[in-house]
Amino acid sequence: MSRGKLRSVEVFDVTKTFSNGLEAIGGISLSVGCGEVYGLLGLNGAGKSTVIKMLATLLRPTSGGIRIFGLDTMECCPAEIKRRIGVVPQENNLDTHLDVRQNLAFHCRYAGLAKKDYAPKVEEWLALFGLEGKAAERVMRLSGGTKRKAMLAKAFLTAPELLILDEPSAGLDPGVRALFWDKVEEFRSNGGTVFLSTHYLEEAERLCDRIGILHGGRLVAEGTVNELTRWAGLETAERNGVEAAFRRAVGTCP
Amino acid sequence: MPLKFLLALLHRNAAADLAAFRLTAVRMLVQPAVYLFVFGYVVGGMLPAQSGGYAGIMAPGIVAISVVTGPFVIIGGGVISGYYFRTMEEWLLAPVSLRTVLTAKVLGGTCYGLAGGAVVVVLVWAILGIAPQKIGYMVLTASAGALLFSLFTIVVLLIPETPDKGQEVFSFLMMPMTFFGCTFYSYDMLGAPFNYLALLLPTTYIAEGLRAAYHPDSPHMEAGMVLAGLSLAAAVLIPLADWAFRRRFRDFTW
Repeated sequence: MSRGKLRSVEVFDVTKTFSNGLEAIGGISLSVGCGEVYGLLGLNGAGKSTVIKMLATLLRPTSGGIRIFGLDTMECCPAEIKRRIGVVPQENNLDTHLDVRQNLAFHCRYAGLAKKDYAPKVEEWLALFGLEGKAAERVMRLSGGTKRKAMLAKAFLTAPELLILDEPSAGLDPGVRALFWDKVEEFRSNGGTVFLSTHYLEEAERLCDRIGILHGGRLVAEGTVNELTRWAGLETAERNGVEAAFRRAVGTCP
Repeated sequence: MPLKFLLALLHRNAAADLAAFRLTAVRMLVQPAVYLFVFGYVVGGMLPAQSGGYAGIMAPGIVAISVVTGPFVIIGGGVISGYYFRTMEEWLLAPVSLRTVLTAKVLGGTCYGLAGGAVVVVLVWAILGIAPQKIGYMVLTASAGALLFSLFTIVVLLIPETPDKGQEVFSFLMMPMTFFGCTFYSYDMLGAPFNYLALLLPTTYIAEGLRAAYHPDSPHMEAGMVLAGLSLAAAVLIPLADWAFRRRFRDFTW
């Protein structure tokens, strides 16, 4: 169920073929309304990260078009789009030469924020994700889960309007995952839009207004949890509706 | 916004270097000091005295070597760690244009080349007792040299498939540039055909420009020729670096 008429994300018949001939995305179309949480499910290699990277302007579609807040990612300056989005890629991209606090601070500085604006936010998000004790540690020495927490904190820091998250809670312990879910819901209630890919069906069912199932580079099913449950042949009140829809779509579980 | 990003990236480079201070100190101080002591002080003392002595001939060349190799450390380090640790994504996701990221990288490399050169100028004075006589001309030549080799680093690292291969190409190309590019001897010492071959190397113009700044009364390449050589190198490297950067990062498939 989309909220409002303004579309945050519009994807028009997008394909992506890499230089080695691999067709990662074979033509997908979707749209995400303002204030909506859209989840993309799929097996490994389905093309989820490729879709994420195209939305984040890191990759260019081979054909088709993508608009973020009405701005065409191919025609207009991607800088304007990047100003309004927060991205958590699948692989951590923290600066290994810096410590955690510096990573967050420089992320804000690259976005043009002044120190008086970002410094308190950095400390706030470090505390929220329990990173105060690790703030002065070099990234190279951190565990995978701690790095992931730092990545999540970074995404929220610049107050984006759209969060683009690629398997955001991978590697997080259950407590931090629950905290992250709370933050996403808080972000949505403040009018933010979220586009995320995930392997966790529970995460998709809890957070997402609509879910798309990607298989072999194509969107094979899409809808709300109830719509997907009915599509899978179950009653809407039944649990594991999304799992059943996923099984029907791709033949197995994520 | 671009200026804020540029300043942030320069600050980041300094912060990263501070974190690896011991390595930085070895690179900037110890290596050129050893060259100056062995070739300038010891070997130079054994050779018959000419105008300025051998030390006076090779010292500007050592400054030139620091100027041209400095950019590789910061640009190469950033690109290579950007490849393996995906740090490059952080800069590509900043809300600035691709050309701004390139400019920031080149500016960072230029600053490092100049900083390395400045350290060696002090070492030359401390170990050999030689100081430049035309400081303005020295700064101009060194700045042009650092800029050109920042662009050169970008081209060499980004055209091959991975930056590791680029690093090998860089080492392969730097060796002849260093030893045949008039760094350990002056241009007027070369006869045919080596004097013609030396004109193909940008290091020749940088070393001769610095030699003229140190010893304006000793034989050296004319300023007009230095300017022409550096301008030609710039005319080739600027569009090539821009093309290589856009080719590699407009569609970020690393």
